[in-house]
Amino acid sequence: MAADRRPSEVFVSRRNILFGAGALVWTGLLGRLAQLQLLDGEELREKAADNEVRFDLDPPSRGRILDRFGLPLADHRQAGRIAIIREQAGDMDTVLAEISKTVDLSPERREAITRRARNQAAFLQTEVARELTYEEFARLSIHAAQLPGVVVEIGDTRSYPRGRDFAHVLGYVARASQKDINALTLNALDLTTAERRLLDEIEYGEWDHHAAIDRAIRGDQTDIRRNQLANRWSDVASEVNRLYKHPDMRTGRSGVEATCNSWLTGTRGARAVVTNAAGRIIERVPDADRATVPGKDVALTIDSELQRAAINRFGDETGACVVIDVESGDVLALVSTPAFDPNDFVNGISQADYDLLRNNPDSPLYHKAFDGVYPPGSTFKMVVATAALEAGVVSPTERIRCNGRYRLGRRTWSCWKKEGHGPVNLHEALKGSCDTYFYEISRRTGVDKIADVARRFGFGRSWSHLGLTGGARGVVPDPAWKEANRGEPWQQGETLNYGIGQGFLTSTPLQLATMTAQLARGGRPSVPQMLGIGPQFSIERGEEATLDEEIIAMMQRGMYGVTSEGGGTALRSGDLGLGGPRMAGKTGTAQVRYISQAERRSGVIKNEDLERRLRDHALFVGYAPHDDPKLAISVIVEHGGSGSRAAGPVARDIMAEALRLDSRREPSWQRLAGRPSLGDAGSDRG
Amino acid sequence: MTYIHDAERQSGRRYANTQASMSFMGSSGLGGLSWGLVALLTMTALIGTAMLYSTTQAGSGAEADLWQRHLTRFGIGLVAMISLALVPLPIWFRLSYIVYFGALVLLVAVEFAGSVRGGAQRWLEIGPIAIQPSEPMKVALTLALARYYHSALAKVPTDAVRHHLVAAMIILVPAALIFMQPDFGTTLALVASGGVIVFLSGLRKEIIGAFALLGIVSVPLIYTFVLADYQKERVDTFITQLSGGDESQSLSEGYQIEQARIAIGSGGLTGKGYMQGTQTKLEYIPEQHTDFILTVIAEELGFVGAAGLMLIWAAILVWCLLIAGRCSERFGRFAAAGVAATLGFYIVFNVGMVIGLLPVVGVPMPLVSYGGTAMMTIMVAFGLILSADLHRDSRMPEGGLL
Repeated sequence: MAADRRPSEVFVSRRNILFGAGALVWTGLLGRLAQLQLLDGEELREKAADNEVRFDLDPPSRGRILDRFGLPLADHRQAGRIAIIREQAGDMDTVLAEISKTVDLSPERREAITRRARNQAAFLQTEVARELTYEEFARLSIHAAQLPGVVVEIGDTRSYPRGRDFAHVLGYVARASQKDINALTLNALDLTTAERRLLDEIEYGEWDHHAAIDRAIRGDQTDIRRNQLANRWSDVASEVNRLYKHPDMRTGRSGVEATCNSWLTGTRGARAVVTNAAGRIIERVPDADRATVPGKDVALTIDSELQRAAINRFGDETGACVVIDVESGDVLALVSTPAFDPNDFVNGISQADYDLLRNNPDSPLYHKAFDGVYPPGSTFKMVVATAALEAGVVSPTERIRCNGRYRLGRRTWSCWKKEGHGPVNLHEALKGSCDTYFYEISRRTGVDKIADVARRFGFGRSWSHLGLTGGARGVVPDPAWKEANRGEPWQQGETLNYGIGQGFLTSTPLQLATMTAQLARGGRPSVPQMLGIGPQFSIERGEEATLDEEIIAMMQRGMYGVTSEGGGTALRSGDLGLGGPRMAGKTGTAQVRYISQAERRSGVIKNEDLERRLRDHALFVGYAPHDDPKLAISVIVEHGGSGSRAAGPVARDIMAEALRLDSRREPSWQRLAGRPSLGDAGSDRG
Repeated sequence: MTYIHDAERQSGRRYANTQASMSFMGSSGLGGLSWGLVALLTMTALIGTAMLYSTTQAGSGAEADLWQRHLTRFGIGLVAMISLALVPLPIWFRLSYIVYFGALVLLVAVEFAGSVRGGAQRWLEIGPIAIQPSEPMKVALTLALARYYHSALAKVPTDAVRHHLVAAMIILVPAALIFMQPDFGTTLALVASGGVIVFLSGLRKEIIGAFALLGIVSVPLIYTFVLADYQKERVDTFITQLSGGDESQSLSEGYQIEQARIAIGSGGLTGKGYMQGTQTKLEYIPEQHTDFILTVIAEELGFVGAAGLMLIWAAILVWCLLIAGRCSERFGRFAAAGVAATLGFYIVFNVGMVIGLLPVVGVPMPLVSYGGTAMMTIMVAFGLILSADLHRDSRMPEGGLL
């Protein structure tokens, strides 16, 4: 077959078609390439830059919390920490074994670290230990050069240099939980009420898809707004989530740390870093960083020296103490003892340690000064007397006979003084704390009037603007309250209990302090303040009101008598070692257990003979100096027995210390001109 | 030099060989080799090596010695290519069917005994070496078709349809086997380059038109009934991309394509500089040392680099087709043109995929992408072309299957 040994024309013409087709295809490819590289180049170059540069959140350092004179109560402390990068470490076990020569690491802990490292991207840090001692840090820093993948660095940690002293006031910080993140997100969103409602609907509401479509067709914008809101929520939430994943980030859980959280937190910045597709940082780009705004400091009105002295004075006793500057309302000491150490909470407290705190019968977690409610006992007698004088049911000079008992109907009430006070007028009744006198005048005054005056003295209300979390209101009982809460009508006998500050009536040590300050101010209400510099919270309007100056003057004279005149129940507590000026005050004893008639007859068991938890609480309220009141104090010694013996001397010593330290002198911070006063509607919510 | 044809059956016209004036014709020793073509191939492989070196500089990217292995393979391939070029074309002719059936056996073996890598059963492990039988099939198919048409066209008029039915069988059997692996890209390249040989053989234009129509009609049918889910996804992604779709896809094929587009586009006219590509260095581009190596060239060397590579390939392919035209016998013509078509389709598929004009089919850029079997196939293919050129006047043996 030698027929075909030359190229056929068919082949050549077809090959030429192929040339043409190839040229066409090549032109197309080159055209597209040119379009991408020459025409779209600019836009795509920007996208490539976006790809490379990532912004890493740079957490702001948390603001400090200072005392009245600028001493730090909550500070940031630099602490060494050691972390490991799995990818670079090679054999984790070897490296961890090497580290454990310096830092104590149990085998379980090592295993947990290895497990944690395996569960995240290989180039991320896994924390091995924090809070390194100086020596550990120094040793490891030198060592780290030889240990592959080991990072020794300084982190920012919250510290509370005063430890337990300010546990309840400051609260503490902790790593943000999911609940915290939700709350922080909500806070950052700053929603209107309508938006809040929409958000709640998204979360809890039933979503009817078809109905939503119908609404959209009708031009109803609700669902669109709802979607936008849900998107905003998820954007902000993811950002908050990212920020709070940083090992240095904490959020306030209670106390000032919680209420002033956003003030203290500051604004996060961003560090520009070049990353690869897997997210690993290749290099930093400092020029593109966004500055971090550190959190602002908060200054309190409290004098940390006085606070420490007051806590020391309590010693092993448990209880609470509040010292208030009479003129400004500044809280100078806010003590609840025993307390916990907030430093233990910063890195998470172990369940065992937490259980120990929670099961402690002395309730160290409980803020007794603000959350604790106690019957005010005889410290309430100024309120009853004021109510009686205001109602005009008794004159200051009228004498009421006390023979140790008071009979109403078939029941008998006892005076604390079994043999009786004899005939006493108002002044003597206050001075000697005669129960019989107060049974009589409270019966005459009536429950409603007493409740009214109690509220005007600031009972039954809490102060939410102080920067504290929690806050008990206590109970100012009246017939309506009893009907609502017990479903029973008011008994006249209960009015008599009211008269000596017992029964359903309860109050907080802070309320007792503001009541005392109001007495010391000649009846003008005292608004406590605790934040010197910090967010301005609006003050809830309460029912407190100015009381009759003349009546209050009589109360002041009575309180002076208590500590300074013959027959006074707290004669030992009046002398502050100042010479002339003394402390005026009132003792109180709050029953913890009910004393039966049988016991009364057979003689009341002495407190000292009772189990501690059944003993009476001892109370004392007072102000000083008596002739020019500057400071008001309330003290409660739990299960202390009698007010005059247990609480009075404590109050006296703390008051003397406050005067000696001159705690109420001008603070180191500038008092804000527009400080909120009663009824102001402030704006900044922390 | 002019050939005087004998009674050419269809036209009877004279044909002037346009390549008649090539100066080194006639020699069948090393001196007669198309050294210019060898130089172009070497240049391409060196570009590939340089780009592979660049990709190994990415953070934790490819193994550091990729470029060395690429270069070594090319060196070995070069020696093999030149040796094969010296093999007389009649020997290629005699071996054509054996090679074809051998490759077919391997493909069947893969179906039963192949190992699965990356979800596809493409590899056959024989002792320490793993090969992809679909690679040798590319050359084998060309050889078989060239031999078939060489003999068939000598007997019957070119426009007789029945030759082409046999040719279609030769193409479709291996294509079907490769499709089942599954390897859509290779299947497509195989069918397309086989189709080119059929086209060159002189199949009537009306029939070509009919097939083209059939092809267009069958696209939706193939999509619906033939393609696997992941293949459909690639097509979907491609269509989404073409219609300027969603740029936020980040985990799917769309991500790869979008990142490739960003890498290419950000290169601009002259690129970010050798080894300075951010997209590729930061590993935003998967498969950058294999199928997507063009992104590295485009990003680092810009339009100049990418278009330059395209032009080098255009020159190589034109050269191959000119060699085809110079062959005195059909076997050489079809073999050279078939190999050129195969390479051409590879380049078109690869570039089209990388710049987002075609779906992601997973086809490497010849000589530039990293990959051993593909490199060997390409070198053997060029060995064939060079042999066809060197032995362009050899007479093929007549008759017999072997």
